[in-house]
Amino acid sequence: MTTLRRRLVPYGLLGPGLLWLVLFFVVPMVFMGWFSLSSGSLESGWSWTWAFSNYTDAISEYSTQFGRSFLYAGAATILCLLLGYPLAYAIAFKGGRWRNLMLFAVIAPFFTTYLIRTIAWKTILADDSPVVEVLKFLQLVPQDGRVLATSAAVIAGLTYNFLPFMVLPLYASLERLDLRLLEASKDLYASARLTFLKVTLPLTAPGIVAGVLLTFIPAVGDYVNATFLGGTNQSMIGNVIQAQYLVINDYATAAALSFSLMIIIMIAVVLYIRFAGSEALMGDEEEAK
Amino acid sequence: MTNAKEKRPFMKVAIAAAGLVAALTIAACGSTGGTDNTDVPTAQGGKASGTLNISNWPLYIDEETVNDFEKKTGIKVNYTEDVNSNTDFFGKVQPLLSNGDSGGRSILVVTDWMSQKMWDLGYLQKLDPNELTTVFDNLIPSLQDPAFDPGRGYSIPWQSGMTGLVVRTDLAPDIKSVNDLFDPKYKGKVTMLDELRDSAALVMKGDGVDPTEASTEEWLAAVDKVKQAKEDGQIRRFTGNDYVQDLAKGDVVAAIGWSGDAVQAQADNPNIEYIQPEQGCILWSDNMSIPVGAPNSPAAYEFMNYVYEPENQAQIVEYVNYISPVKGVKEILQKKDPALAESDLIFPSEEFLSKCSNQTSPPGDEAQKKEVENAWLSVVEG
Repeated sequence: MTTLRRRLVPYGLLGPGLLWLVLFFVVPMVFMGWFSLSSGSLESGWSWTWAFSNYTDAISEYSTQFGRSFLYAGAATILCLLLGYPLAYAIAFKGGRWRNLMLFAVIAPFFTTYLIRTIAWKTILADDSPVVEVLKFLQLVPQDGRVLATSAAVIAGLTYNFLPFMVLPLYASLERLDLRLLEASKDLYASARLTFLKVTLPLTAPGIVAGVLLTFIPAVGDYVNATFLGGTNQSMIGNVIQAQYLVINDYATAAALSFSLMIIIMIAVVLYIRFAGSEALMGDEEEAK
Repeated sequence: MTNAKEKRPFMKVAIAAAGLVAALTIAACGSTGGTDNTDVPTAQGGKASGTLNISNWPLYIDEETVNDFEKKTGIKVNYTEDVNSNTDFFGKVQPLLSNGDSGGRSILVVTDWMSQKMWDLGYLQKLDPNELTTVFDNLIPSLQDPAFDPGRGYSIPWQSGMTGLVVRTDLAPDIKSVNDLFDPKYKGKVTMLDELRDSAALVMKGDGVDPTEASTEEWLAAVDKVKQAKEDGQIRRFTGNDYVQDLAKGDVVAAIGWSGDAVQAQADNPNIEYIQPEQGCILWSDNMSIPVGAPNSPAAYEFMNYVYEPENQAQIVEYVNYISPVKGVKEILQKKDPALAESDLIFPSEEFLSKCSNQTSPPGDEAQKKEVENAWLSVVEG
């Protein structure tokens, strides 16, 4: 009895999640895969034709938007890291009794919907807004220039919207950092800078890797920021997929673009973990040795 | 107990699950065929009662009409404002409609070209004129025989409107023509709608081409002209309804936009004004239709007749400020609200509309249409 029960427990635990993923992830994926290799139209119906040209056409036609998506998402991820690391560091080590409040402040924007937060940036960056006036005064923006409807606005929007995804994993790994190691480093006459580079940074690398992935992946596929903050030359691949699917109902191209994006992201992530993240993720094993 | 033993039955389950997925998918994919309208049914009439589900655009009815209708007829109405754009709405309901399911909707409201597209795909039912006597008694003559649905066999106009120029008259007082949008003076201060049938068609009119007669080449030329302006930085953005906010802030001084939006925006900011382009406007209507699989079509007929009573229609027009398809509304509003009754945007004179063209899709077969749509998409999503 007990052995049978023990054998069934993992199925019971895995079952609901597995079923959920199969129904709402695998099945739609198979559908999309089917569409991506089909030809036809809404009027004449779709048929499976091994149309690999969907992929080559879609990628060559929209390579600019692919490139732009990776550029914007990459820039936003770097900015998030540059902003987020000091922030998480300060909360974790200097927050004191304000720590929870500060963490709450990081998450607070989530209480407002994503859409409203992004649209609010239209007001913040409007042509005659104080922010833009200051930037003009500092000569960071030309006198007759604007911020809204430029690449800078889209990257700023992405950075703002995804910052909490960077801060939270960073905070989690910084908070767990064993302070005795920092003291030991100091005792061994390492400078503050060296301690940070040799101790803090490597030990928080898993947080950095997680933060970068959590920021970069959704940012690449985002289309809301480009829709509201971009102009005529800021469309990301998400915008193209949305328009292919909903505006001209070319499901095959939309599916091929989605799959291409997914594959490119997967390759990028694997490469990233292999080169940038291997040390971080293998940290445990090395410790064991 | 070793791990290897634990794993094996696990794999079996996984393989079984994968097989199930494959079977489901193949079964489902087999039915993804094309559709046409050779055997669409006619919506049944009869005694109206029960519940009526309506899908319409936001801010497209006043707050009282639905209540009044419920009180008068005893029909319970679920009025949903879930049509935000023709294409998005179509994307949402298409999978249902292609299976003959309306998602519970008995009336949906979409624009002319989308009505036609849905009809061509067999998604709309035929309407029985005997059930729509009030509608046909009061429908204005100019809308009785549109090219896409002569005699109104499947679409009944809800409201009509004009696509033209919406301008900040204090910031750009001299904009009168479509071509003024291309004036370098307004570089980066101009927006266009992201809808091909509005923007490209209006730009075409600026070059003296009538969109209803235009060839594929002429459509492509108009798309090219917009593309050039975009590359020069002339056009700031391609928009949906949200151009109104840009105008209100002054980030944009002139936009291709819709007449009713302008009337509503003008109430908040008197400097925002609809300008009828020298070359005329694009005229369109949004139409009520009964989709396939719609429950309770008698109640749908009842509602269509109800809103075509001039008194009831006047109440809607007073609120929405678009062009009414119903006769006798102007006379009623002259007593209730003379300023509205005199507005050229709500009761346009024949002269005001003389140069306007009806909204239309690009001509030709599927491939030619797709060529134009793709060209436009790569400009808008460039």
